[in-house]
Amino acid sequence: MSDQALTYLDANGVAAVGPAWLDVRRKAARASFADAGFPHRRVEAWRYTDLSRLIAKTDWQPAMPHAGAVLVPEGRSNPFAAITSHKLVFVNGFFRPDLSELEGLPAGVEILPLEAALESGTKFETAFDANGPEAVAPIAALNTACAKDGAVIRLGEGVALDQPVQLIHYTPDGGATASHTRNVIELGAGASMTLLEAQIGWGGAYLVDRLTNLTLGEGASLTHVRIEDEDAQAVHIATVLGDVAAEASYVAGTLAIGGRAGRLQTALRFTGEDAHAESNTAYLLRDQQQLDSTIIADHAVPGCTSGALAKGVLDGEATGVFQGKVIVAPHAQKSDAKQMSNALLLSRDAAMNAKPELEIYADDVQCAHGSTIGELDGDALFYLRSRGIDEQTARRMLISAFLGGVLEQIPHEEARDLLSERAAGWFESRSGGEA
Amino acid sequence: MLEIKDLHASVDGTPILKGISLTIGDGEVHAIMGPNGSGKSTLSNVLAGREDYTITKGSITYKGKDLTELAIEERASAGIFLAFQYPTEIPGVTTMTFLKTAVNAQRKVRGEEELNAVTFLKLVRQKAKELKVDEDMLKRPLNVGFSGGEKKRAETLQMSLLEPSLAVLDETDSGLDIDALKIVADGVNRLRAPDRSMIVITHYQRLLDYIVPDHVHVLAKGRIIRSGGKELAKELEASGYTDLTESAA
Repeated sequence: MSDQALTYLDANGVAAVGPAWLDVRRKAARASFADAGFPHRRVEAWRYTDLSRLIAKTDWQPAMPHAGAVLVPEGRSNPFAAITSHKLVFVNGFFRPDLSELEGLPAGVEILPLEAALESGTKFETAFDANGPEAVAPIAALNTACAKDGAVIRLGEGVALDQPVQLIHYTPDGGATASHTRNVIELGAGASMTLLEAQIGWGGAYLVDRLTNLTLGEGASLTHVRIEDEDAQAVHIATVLGDVAAEASYVAGTLAIGGRAGRLQTALRFTGEDAHAESNTAYLLRDQQQLDSTIIADHAVPGCTSGALAKGVLDGEATGVFQGKVIVAPHAQKSDAKQMSNALLLSRDAAMNAKPELEIYADDVQCAHGSTIGELDGDALFYLRSRGIDEQTARRMLISAFLGGVLEQIPHEEARDLLSERAAGWFESRSGGEA
Repeated sequence: MLEIKDLHASVDGTPILKGISLTIGDGEVHAIMGPNGSGKSTLSNVLAGREDYTITKGSITYKGKDLTELAIEERASAGIFLAFQYPTEIPGVTTMTFLKTAVNAQRKVRGEEELNAVTFLKLVRQKAKELKVDEDMLKRPLNVGFSGGEKKRAETLQMSLLEPSLAVLDETDSGLDIDALKIVADGVNRLRAPDRSMIVITHYQRLLDYIVPDHVHVLAKGRIIRSGGKELAKELEASGYTDLTESAA
């Protein structure tokens, strides 16, 4: 039993509201989290991200709905604003119908906030049942116990949604407040859609925990593009937890530039053959920022492919973490899994921790993993400068080239260009100008 | 154009150049020949401003100014161009993007208007054609996977676009077969002009059949041990470096 967890749950847990089935699960989750506590560095999967320490010494209180207009600081706006989409906007973790756009949904498409979905009597117990592998389970339990709102997106069999769906989360208020959001995404067999998610905050010290449950039916396809741009004092966790059925595909591209400390954790399990899942993550950190990218692919069935690529640019005293884990079940022959972590250190005080893990119980598989940690190539810098390109521009060219390898994997062209611009903006906003 | 006086330079504390003096007039082509380890590449790197090289004594005056006070990119904009012996591969930066960035960076420093995409493309296509550099190569990442010949043609293309006042060709002939050598030499010869000087660094006399120098210098153990006209190269070809370096010792 953890006092830290109990204190937190007493302040932030959700009381008995909503349907009885959910209440049962919340109570179980509460008990489970109270028992395990906030993960800390002595838990192997959280070795480099000591959440218990990160949130200690703060009397966390639940975030409250933000009153009135949301004034987004310059340069921090929703990068996907120009893309015509269905849109759900959350502020401090609460759905804002006035900022959302949900008119004209095609037949077979359900997009609504969690509260409304619960009231409608729709059943999605299973989304609250699975806590996922050990690495994500404590957070899944915390989220179930505390989540108040979120998005529910359901596509019927064979529905191809033309317009992307945007999930935009703004956190304008801090003051030691916490918000927990639960998204549920279910794609029926053969359904397809693009999800554009922006997590942007400027409220100072706050904690956000967002968990997305995915269920992809046979042959379904989900493209997930994300930007994480939280306040420089914020602690944020974004979890994607789900099942991918036969011939289904999940392709994610993420740009992470914000937060004091963050963890992006994705745990996917293949439940049918010939499915595919990949996560491509670019992160740009400075000062004392830290970001942990943890990706777990569970090849529970044969013939699936998975990929994890993370590229980080680390300046100042920033710390990057990559944890990739591939599990291949004994009968899961012809599995193909790749993990790659590349980090570019721009300063002597930056640090990178990369940890690949393979648990392979089948023999006819292809599993590749690699990790590089390096600095800018001095020969390349000299070459560019010897042609008249000033040092700062030359450094930027080389950093952009390094990141290009992952940004170009972002699966939605327009979103890719918009995120590339944001990444370029990161250089502009750098203070000190070393680079 | 360039006046080097009693130049001493070292790398990681090891002296490599031990008193080089050399004067290059406008429009002159000087060949610097010498055995491996004589300091040829060090001289080219020192001229380009590479930071791992330390000048311990002497001076380099370029167009009447102290060259050593200029940063690498300032030297480039002032008209110094080093054609690399081993051009660096730069993944993720396409050749075309690089060329445009370099040309416009130099124009900007010189207070000239930057070239727009259309004008630049036209210019590159024309120059590329002369050097048999195909469009596909321009779309590829800079020098990545280029053959030896492609790399040297790309270097020559850069030179023709940047139009330097002083070009330093570091072992441009290395890794080239005779056909590739001719293409590169033709490209270099087209750039010879009364206001453009060149330093051609080579181990072999062969290159000098195609790029005919006005003066030839022999570098050994960090010093110029002999200077002469183009016939000196022929003489070296016949006698080898050993005779010369021994007689100088």
